[in-house]
Amino acid sequence: MSRRALLRQSACGFGMLGLRGLLAAEEARNPLSPKQPHIRARAKRVIFLFMHGGPSHLDIYDPKPRLERDHGKPLPFARPLTFAEEQVGGLLKSPFAFKRHGQSGIPLSELFPNLANHVDEMCIVRSMVGDSVAHGGALMQLHTGTNTFTRPSWGSWVVYGLGTENQNLPGFITIKPTLFHGGAKNYSAGFLPAAYEGTPIGYAALGPDDLKEPIQYLERPGMPADLQRFELDMLQKLNRRNAEQAQFDPQLDGRIQAFELAARMQTEAPEAFDLTKESEATKKLYGLDNDETRDFGWQCLVARRLSERGVRFVQASHTYRVGNPVGWDAHSNLVPNHVGRAKQVDQPISALLTDLKARGLLDDTLIVWSGEFGRTPIAQSGDGRDHNPYGYTSWMAGAGVKHGFIYGATDEFGYHAVEDRMHIHDLHATVLHILGLDHKKLTHFHGGRNFRLTDVAGNVAEKLLA
Amino acid sequence: MRSLDRLRVAGTVALLLGLAAGPSVGVLRANEPDEFFETKVRPLFVAQCQVCHGDKQQMGDIDLSRKQGLDRNGAAGSIVVAGDPDASPLIHAIRYDSKIKMPPTGKLSDGEIADLTEWVRMGAPWPEPKVSQQSSGAGSEFTEEEKSWWSFQPVKRPEPPAVRKADWARSPIDNFILARLEKEGFEPAPEVDKLTLLRRVTYDLTGLPPTEREIADFLADDSPKAYENIVERLLDSSRYGERWGRHWLDVARYADSTGVDEDHKYPYAWKYRDYIVDAFNDDVPFDRLLREQIAGDLLPADNPGALNTRGIIATGFMALGPKLIAEQDKKKMLYDMIDEQIEVVGKAVLGLTLQCARCHDHKFDPIRQRDYYSMASIFRSTKQVTDWQSHVSELYFAPLVPDDEADLYFSHQKKIERKKQRISNIVDEQTAAHVMRSLHEVPKYLAPARELLNAPKPRMSAPTATAEATPGHEADAVVAETASKYGLDAGLLGKWFDYLKPTDEVRPHLDRLLQANQADLPTVAEQYRAEFEQTASKRYGELAEWRTKFAEALAKDETPPEKPFFFAGENRFFTETSAGNGPLSVTKENREKLFSSEALEQLARLEIEQKELEKTLPPKPPMANAVAEEAPHQQNVFVGGNVRALGDEVPKAFPAILTHNEQPEIKSVSGRLELARWLSSADNPLTARVMANRIWLWHFGEGLVGTPNNFGKVGAQPTHPELLDYLASEFVQRGWSVKAMHRLIVLSSTYRMSADTTEQAHEKDPENQLLSHFTRRRMDAEEIRDTLLAIEGAIDYGMGGTLQTGVGQGMTTTDQLPPFDVSKSYRRTLYLPLRRANIPKLLTLFDFGDATTSTGARASTNVAPQALFMMNSEFVSRVAEGFARRLLAERRMPDEERVRRAWLTALAKEPAAAEVSEALDYMRAFRKQAATKDAQDIGSSPQQGPDDPSPDTPSYYYGEPTLAAWRSYCRVLLASNDFIYIQ
Repeated sequence: MSRRALLRQSACGFGMLGLRGLLAAEEARNPLSPKQPHIRARAKRVIFLFMHGGPSHLDIYDPKPRLERDHGKPLPFARPLTFAEEQVGGLLKSPFAFKRHGQSGIPLSELFPNLANHVDEMCIVRSMVGDSVAHGGALMQLHTGTNTFTRPSWGSWVVYGLGTENQNLPGFITIKPTLFHGGAKNYSAGFLPAAYEGTPIGYAALGPDDLKEPIQYLERPGMPADLQRFELDMLQKLNRRNAEQAQFDPQLDGRIQAFELAARMQTEAPEAFDLTKESEATKKLYGLDNDETRDFGWQCLVARRLSERGVRFVQASHTYRVGNPVGWDAHSNLVPNHVGRAKQVDQPISALLTDLKARGLLDDTLIVWSGEFGRTPIAQSGDGRDHNPYGYTSWMAGAGVKHGFIYGATDEFGYHAVEDRMHIHDLHATVLHILGLDHKKLTHFHGGRNFRLTDVAGNVAEKLLA
Repeated sequence: MRSLDRLRVAGTVALLLGLAAGPSVGVLRANEPDEFFETKVRPLFVAQCQVCHGDKQQMGDIDLSRKQGLDRNGAAGSIVVAGDPDASPLIHAIRYDSKIKMPPTGKLSDGEIADLTEWVRMGAPWPEPKVSQQSSGAGSEFTEEEKSWWSFQPVKRPEPPAVRKADWARSPIDNFILARLEKEGFEPAPEVDKLTLLRRVTYDLTGLPPTEREIADFLADDSPKAYENIVERLLDSSRYGERWGRHWLDVARYADSTGVDEDHKYPYAWKYRDYIVDAFNDDVPFDRLLREQIAGDLLPADNPGALNTRGIIATGFMALGPKLIAEQDKKKMLYDMIDEQIEVVGKAVLGLTLQCARCHDHKFDPIRQRDYYSMASIFRSTKQVTDWQSHVSELYFAPLVPDDEADLYFSHQKKIERKKQRISNIVDEQTAAHVMRSLHEVPKYLAPARELLNAPKPRMSAPTATAEATPGHEADAVVAETASKYGLDAGLLGKWFDYLKPTDEVRPHLDRLLQANQADLPTVAEQYRAEFEQTASKRYGELAEWRTKFAEALAKDETPPEKPFFFAGENRFFTETSAGNGPLSVTKENREKLFSSEALEQLARLEIEQKELEKTLPPKPPMANAVAEEAPHQQNVFVGGNVRALGDEVPKAFPAILTHNEQPEIKSVSGRLELARWLSSADNPLTARVMANRIWLWHFGEGLVGTPNNFGKVGAQPTHPELLDYLASEFVQRGWSVKAMHRLIVLSSTYRMSADTTEQAHEKDPENQLLSHFTRRRMDAEEIRDTLLAIEGAIDYGMGGTLQTGVGQGMTTTDQLPPFDVSKSYRRTLYLPLRRANIPKLLTLFDFGDATTSTGARASTNVAPQALFMMNSEFVSRVAEGFARRLLAERRMPDEERVRRAWLTALAKEPAAAEVSEALDYMRAFRKQAATKDAQDIGSSPQQGPDDPSPDTPSYYYGEPTLAAWRSYCRVLLASNDFIYIQ
């Protein structure tokens, strides 16, 4: 059904687009134009740092003295459904030392020495809960709210609800997404109009230097700008004549606008990815000079540049790729795995926070850091940990959240979240709330009913709001 | 605002109420004990307790998914004393006032504790699942309003209405359209010009542009049959099935992979796609097509007695949905797959959202939760994965040869496997014997090897050119020295030494040894030996026991038991030293020394036999991704959609609102055959209507019912209900022939109207629901790519087969692979591999969708990234270049004629004289503008176009600047609205 038809039906009382969709003449022309939030917005945009594989909260954020004490002993209660049924050992203490940091005294393990300088800006959620013990479902739920079927990504929902500030760039950009575990489903617009689809910048396996063209088709095929403009003028002349002849067909006009927008995008977008404009000091800050930190450092720096230019939702992914085949998925060899992975992201993330703060962007940008789940307090293969969606840690920083704050808690083993449980649905509801969107009002009619990012669940975690 | 209230209901409340279905639903009396249980208690058990006390595990013999589960198998007495909370262990546990505190993850809320206490006080009512062989349609259960919903009424055959402008009507369709237009005071738009009509119908029926030749022929044909002849030619073309088959593939959410988790391939999905293309080309009656897709494996083959391979392939419709086969909640996984099948059958065939009744009765349509589970029962008795309970479930592949023939292959392969197993059994046995023999030597070697680790590095002698002086050999010397000191084998000691050397791996299991004092070393080494021996005896013992059973099973020709599996992590020291390259391991190289001569002889013989068998392996039978019958399953309603909350048992049945108490008897195992017949029956009020509406939609861009997959209450109402019924009855009368419907529609006056809009139409009917003119439509993704390839002159019209790599590799996954490089293929777009996790960008860019759920109508957007594709993509540049070269190929052709040919090829339109001169002016100016640039800058390719200018040609010159100008102009045409819109 065309968008016009949708609109018409809403006017007839079917409410196809939800309340705000009713006034959408402009929106129909440009679905990405900025829209009023439902409530006061605490942040304008999001940078989501995704850690693929499931980092261990017990070895980074959530120290458990009980594990020290009972190291090697069996888990004193029944294991819930796990990913791998076998190979399971006793309780496994963290091989990493924890230290308190900052004014807040928030403990962090030695894995993140740089991030430790930022604990006073972080809001650490120690009580995350998801529904999937397998990566596929867990990734999908984190990104789309459901672990079963294809639904719009949360980035798509955000842009659907708010539009975007810079019309010359896409509103939802995902940098080097994984092709694994749902792949493009994790940034797809699902049943929302295609305009809300995440725009991928390359994919996991490509290094920063392989990315000749960050956004597909953005680069002119060797044609000088003025000559292309000359060509475009000819095209628009034909198109306008065609539209005049046809009369009364807004889609023809819409397409003329699309070409103008494309031309502007082409001029402005490459600049957003052009890191040559950055000082050597900045590049060094992000670790671009170091092989280990270069990849994620590049992602973080690009994320900052995009946010700075008003892109509503930016995702950076530390994910599976050659030389990094299992991400954070330490079923065995926890120590080398986590030491290696932490080195790749610690400095870049810390740089991102420093840089955003220096530019005043941390005042209206929300940072979210999360894996698809955490890891079990019991050992697997002797020196690894299995998947644990029942209690793990994510964190936020920047606009809208309390700083130097710990929200929620797991049990004394770090297996289940027991205090202020934050289900993925709750995280989604909270992030939407911080952006000024009521997750119950942000709906889209599809296949016979209204859908939400949070399905029929989701509670805003009021306690952590700033 | 009523509509808003309804929205809120749909969005939030609807799914929250997970109530048992049944006649009483709708009148919720919360004081009733059963209701209390269903609303307060069961949800709590499901959410808080069943992970440990449910059907998967029953800690303490307690199973809170069924009433009997309260009794702890009678062993320790029930955890509930009905009527007496204070005497009930359950209540003490949740109050945290006994030794056992439940749930262990945190105390329940006061309200929840009060509810459970109240429930026990009420006598712990637990409604028994009702056994009922009646489907939900006991007649009186539906209200008059529900029963009278328009799409559930039998299809009538209305008479075409009379119209004033009778000579306009060519077909009965036109009477229906015109009557309505006249009633509303509209004029139908004039008939479109010949060329536009040709372009319209050619795209419509084949998805491709008319060729220059076809244009010329049509223009030259003045006979009254000219247009009809074109239509017949198009319907006879194989390109037709590719276009219309693809429409159906949208509805069938066709793709080549599972889409979720590792995006596992469906290696044979393409056979289903090819079946659909062929079926449309052959105009297979649609009722038959439906029966085959649901239950083709159960239908007789065309050749009596033969295997119905066509039918098996057709059931790909059921099999090819998105599947999460690595999901660990296996029961939920299975029912998610079934849900997906119910959804696709419901939407595709009936235009009903049956899947909305998974958790509760449908909120808008008279589809009860019982109906849903009656359908689920059919699909639960249908095989789609094998070994569904394994860690990663296996997709089911159906052989396309008779069972005995397939068995030849599979049993032969099994023989090879068994032979291999016997070989490995002998190796295992001999290895175990060797390890056990060498056991006592472990401490003898371990201590000296540890010593060697700490030994001072041998002093390096002065570097010499001889190989002997390498450090390795120095070390060998030290090893040899130590070996002779303790009377050990130097080679073996060297291996132990190598094993203990530090590696990148973290090996906590070696800490004790590596950190031991010299004095403690013998004791520690002895400890390692003891642990080693314990593990070795246990594992080798179990394996020996299994080998006996294996041999016994083989002798009796029974399926042997699974080989016991051990995890490396349990005793890494044992695993590392006795396998792989460990010091005690046996390798191909050293087994001659270590195995008995008898065993070696046996091995040699078996290996020869294995090779012989491999040589005579028959070819692998062709396979399909399909479904098959499984054991009949007794299905329960799942309360609230939760697979562990069992409600009433339900029979296999079809939605009661549609069967009117005449539920066909089910005799096949799953009921699929009866389902297929019932769905494809002319009496089913929805099937013909839904498909007739789809056909209309694919011709006109908009259905008579605006929501092609939803004919229920929240769907759109038909704009022309009588026309819809006329089309549906005509469809059935003409033997469900889709091609007959095409003729009916495309030959009508309605179809031939111009797309030009009047102000009146724009003001009063902006959606053109009355069809006062033809609705202009943007090409879809396939049309865009196929047209560009055709214009480039490069399109490959080869049909069928697969471009997905690794076909026949079974379960190989597509993760991490870069996206399929679309630019490398010249095949029509419908043949590109569709990996759900990674649909080719070009398709998604132009609203292809995601091939995950049934798509009734694609979106049509105009966004900037599409414009960028037209302006900058290498693909469009390549096509523009090819197009320009074709135009320039004929040297002596005047430029005016070239422009005309460009228009006809790309736009099927005659340019006006002014448009021709505008084009030539543009190219002249372009050349001038480009002349100021470096040749490199203007995007020229290094290969030269036609040679140097020659004074006797009408063109200035043919060199690169000319080519560049034409390329630019061609790109303008390809990017234009005249190109991308069909009008």
